[in-house]
Amino acid sequence: MHTGIHGEILRIENLSFTYEDNNHVLDDINLVAHDGESIGIIGANGIGKSTLMKLLVGLLLDYQGTIEVAGHPVNKKNLNHVREHIGYVFQDSDSQLFLSTIEDDVAFGPRNYGLSEEEVKEKVDAALAKVHISDLKNKHIYKLSGGEKKLAAIATILAMEPDIIIMDEPSIALDPRNRKNLISILNDIHSLKLITSHDLDFIMDTCERTVLLDDGRIIANGKTSEILSNKALLEDHGLELPLRLQK
Amino acid sequence: MASIDKQLKELNKIQDLQQRSQWMNILHPLGKLLLSVFYIIITVSFGKYDLVPLIIMSIYPIFGFILGELSFKDGLYRMRLILPLVLLVGIFNPFFDKNILFYIGGTAAETGAAVQGGFAVTGGMVSMVTLMLKGFYSALSAYILIATTSIDDICYALRCLHMPKMIVIVIMLIYRYFGVMGAEAERIITAYKLRAPSQKGIHYKAWGTLVGQWLLRSMDRAEDVYESMLLRGFKGDFFTSKKSYGLLDILYVIIWTMILVLIRSRVII
Repeated sequence: MHTGIHGEILRIENLSFTYEDNNHVLDDINLVAHDGESIGIIGANGIGKSTLMKLLVGLLLDYQGTIEVAGHPVNKKNLNHVREHIGYVFQDSDSQLFLSTIEDDVAFGPRNYGLSEEEVKEKVDAALAKVHISDLKNKHIYKLSGGEKKLAAIATILAMEPDIIIMDEPSIALDPRNRKNLISILNDIHSLKLITSHDLDFIMDTCERTVLLDDGRIIANGKTSEILSNKALLEDHGLELPLRLQK
Repeated sequence: MASIDKQLKELNKIQDLQQRSQWMNILHPLGKLLLSVFYIIITVSFGKYDLVPLIIMSIYPIFGFILGELSFKDGLYRMRLILPLVLLVGIFNPFFDKNILFYIGGTAAETGAAVQGGFAVTGGMVSMVTLMLKGFYSALSAYILIATTSIDDICYALRCLHMPKMIVIVIMLIYRYFGVMGAEAERIITAYKLRAPSQKGIHYKAWGTLVGQWLLRSMDRAEDVYESMLLRGFKGDFFTSKKSYGLLDILYVIIWTMILVLIRSRVII
């Protein structure tokens, strides 16, 4: 739930992570993020973007270093507190939507946090309005198109009003109109957004800061316009210039 | 592939039925659940030769299908796997119970001994029919409940009855995973068929691998769903909006209970 915290809301210090099979994925990651920022996390496949996101929400816990979400260290004891501040939009919306109707699914989070039915209804209506799918409220999940599912998945997170929203490849499998719609919706959300994507044009449209990961380390952390226009940097780390910058 | 796709569509059609704003769908789920259970208990409590009251008991499924605007044909189609089992129960009764109960036609029905031209109806025949009717009615009443009440509402009703939350959650998740596993099975079989176009069905050598893949992928998907639940504050209990009783909910249960009790106590025959 939104705390109204201003300023620093996410702190990662000297974060390293190794899977049980000795696969060393992240090494000495340091990142500080503030309320209202929008940060793109980019990098080639398998460099640890998803692992980093899972660490932030406490789905993976055996890490070295420090992760603090809204002042709460991410550890087993604090998981409930941490998850009240952070929402995760999965890459595959079908994993996010598991109840019968959109309304039930969006209400799932607020109900779990013990809100009254009136408050739940208010939050559901507000979340659906934010993603412009109020008219789909009673629609069955299986009847939704890919774009509608993505918006519904985002609404499930917005209804909890988190301070931080993590999105894993949000533009994947969206047609141009839905993609454009999603960009406009994300730009209207004022929580801290961490967006992982290979769609660098999408990152350009939604994020003012970009973090480039490779080999488990942060290679670059700065203005999106500077990082995404640096052809040599991107190519050195398995990426290419965004399509709009390619000649 | 077509079969799995068909099954998934059937599951979706049942969900469509559950989501209608038809008045039987709106009734309180607890009343509908209790009434269905009560109907099944009353139905199976009849004696093995109580054919006439059992025929009258058909009033509940008949009204259920009419009032719920359900298609009887679709209902029978959806119960096609269970109905043969239900109807086969008691099929051997005529061989074991040869006691003649009455004759159809003939002239000396009173004595039962020397009847000319009559058809002797044995106890086995009657008990076979009553067993079939009991099974058939029970399946129909369960179908009426399922077609007019969503799984979330049925689970809510179970929680109202203080069913342990672990059992209720398991029921709910199993239902959810039907869809997940079905979708995964469809993807795997589609991928196989597209690369083996001349193959009829799936080669037996591929079955082991495909089933293994299916389980692993379904488990992955199930884990994602579970993680998504945890990240939205799930702590082992499904909270749903509290449903209040209306006059119609109470009347529906009371009237049907009275009718069923009257039939059972032989007041209505």
